[in-house]
Amino acid sequence: MDIVVCIKQVPDPEHFSKIVLDAKTKLVRREGIPVVVNQVDKHALEAALQIREKFSGRVTVISMGPPQAREAIEEAFAMGADGGVLLSDRAFAGADSLTTAYTLAQAIKKFSPFDLILLGNETADSGTRQVAPQLAEFLDVPHVTNVRTIGFNSGDTLIVERSMENGHMKIEVRLPAVLAVNRTINEPRIPSVIDIMQVATKEIKVCGLADLGLSSEDVGLVGSPTQMANLFESRRERRREILDGAAVTAARQAVERLRELNAL
Amino acid sequence: MDFSFSREQEMLKKAVRGFAESNVAPRVPELEQKGAFPFDLVKGMGQMGLLGLTNSRPYGGTGMGYMARTIAIEEVSRIYPSLGFFFQAGNLFMFAVEGFGSEDQKRKYLPDLCKGTKISSFGVTEQMGGSDPSAMMTTSKLDGESYVVNGRKSFITNVEVADTLGFVAKTGDSFSVFFVEKGTKGYEVTRREPRPGLRCMPVNELVFSNCKIPKGNLVGEEGRGMAIAITTISVIGRTGAAGVALGAAQGAFEGAAKFCNGRVMYGKPISNLQAIQFMLADMSTDIEASRWLCYRPAWLLDQGKNPREIGPDIARSKLFAVDMALRTCLKAQEVMGAYGQSPEYRVEIFLRDAIELLTAGGTQEIMRLTVGRALAS
Repeated sequence: MDIVVCIKQVPDPEHFSKIVLDAKTKLVRREGIPVVVNQVDKHALEAALQIREKFSGRVTVISMGPPQAREAIEEAFAMGADGGVLLSDRAFAGADSLTTAYTLAQAIKKFSPFDLILLGNETADSGTRQVAPQLAEFLDVPHVTNVRTIGFNSGDTLIVERSMENGHMKIEVRLPAVLAVNRTINEPRIPSVIDIMQVATKEIKVCGLADLGLSSEDVGLVGSPTQMANLFESRRERRREILDGAAVTAARQAVERLRELNAL
Repeated sequence: MDFSFSREQEMLKKAVRGFAESNVAPRVPELEQKGAFPFDLVKGMGQMGLLGLTNSRPYGGTGMGYMARTIAIEEVSRIYPSLGFFFQAGNLFMFAVEGFGSEDQKRKYLPDLCKGTKISSFGVTEQMGGSDPSAMMTTSKLDGESYVVNGRKSFITNVEVADTLGFVAKTGDSFSVFFVEKGTKGYEVTRREPRPGLRCMPVNELVFSNCKIPKGNLVGEEGRGMAIAITTISVIGRTGAAGVALGAAQGAFEGAAKFCNGRVMYGKPISNLQAIQFMLADMSTDIEASRWLCYRPAWLLDQGKNPREIGPDIARSKLFAVDMALRTCLKAQEVMGAYGQSPEYRVEIFLRDAIELLTAGGTQEIMRLTVGRALAS
């Protein structure tokens, strides 16, 4: 089975407090913040590796990002991925979820025959949860999001469980398909020393705009239909009022004040 | 000069950190309370390939090197120095066998030790022969196809759980290294020493009473035992103790820094107070200085330097790292006030473990002697 796993390098959530929003440029300043593989993407990769171990096949990771995103692919190699594609070009920068999905879809069509595509359900930095459904639409295959288990039926169908607010849905999916998994699906493996030492033997295929045969009008910031209108830090300020008197009186006063503030 | 890690080393650091944070950290309270040897975690480290970082591939190791080993020790010890100490105590016999043993010994013992499915220990110290190993009383006399061993060893880490014990004994006027299998007649592990720290690595006494071991259990040549033991203790024991000290200090520092950023006094986190900032700055400077003193001998060993030539470098790193860890853990306790003494915050564990390192691989005074003698010559 050929499995493609889409991964993304994101700022380390443990350092989110250091991220600065630039009010002038409307850009997120990430200088000095370490980057990591988006955590739930590791769960997607783990799911792919477990499927490969059961049914054999090949796991290819694909990532779109700056040249340093090759580190994310190397980490995926250390976990056991067989192949890696890095989509890196200045023209891809500033992509919204739609052009990200479009670019990934074109690369997958060109380089990676697939039976199954796995992604993390969302990214730690933007968290739109849109890329998986959009990718499936571009590739014209079914998709399921928020997947917590993957089971195999006979033939070309999967039985997956999708987490819901108050339970889960069991869904039969025909392959090829796109699945976006959540963190409950598994525990990602920790690479062994031998796996780490073998990373250097695996090659990352780096592709730019020309390699994919795409127009700069259709990718990156230029091709993105959504544009950043504003960027600001939300501040929550606390106010404090002390109500004196007996409990019953204070409670009545509290209700009145809350009504005045439109909180009730 | 290039101070950066290789990409492999960076990935190793990340992987060991992941293992320590997700697999080791949740177990610390239970292991501290029970003082039980963590067979499963040792096996886990073996499966990851961490126990054989300095052993070669044909014998089950990975051969990634001494820098890699230092990284692994630091990362495990940052969470739990007691487990990090396994790289010290557990690697000694593995080094002696790979460096000086026969091909048969290497193939028979090293793969399981690298995997962590078997455990080894290494015994040199005796009641009257610690810093002065030449005063040791344990003897080994050749009798036909066997050696007959008599004597006792003290303060031997992990011998209680070891499948194989390497040890040094007097053979006439000189010394030799041997090993004995668990269950051999005449070899008995006795009293467990109560220890303040490194609680999951048991320390025991052991007794040899007319213990017959096969001639093939001699490691290296007869009479070369002291050189083998001293090299082993220097390259594995002292670097191991230094790495554990470094990790313990880092763990204590991080605990203290986190505490200071969260603890509010006078309306602000206490990390805003200059008095606290000075202490945190001193701690981080101390740790960073120690880190490079630890990395240098490891790097030199990876460059193929003769361990004997870098004995003083190794001694310096152990001397500084252990004193630094004690200073750092005490400062961490100081900035945390009473919370610093609570096991919940773990800084007290780091301090107790650091105290144990004072004598591991040789006392601090022996380290000074090693450096001092090299300077005098």
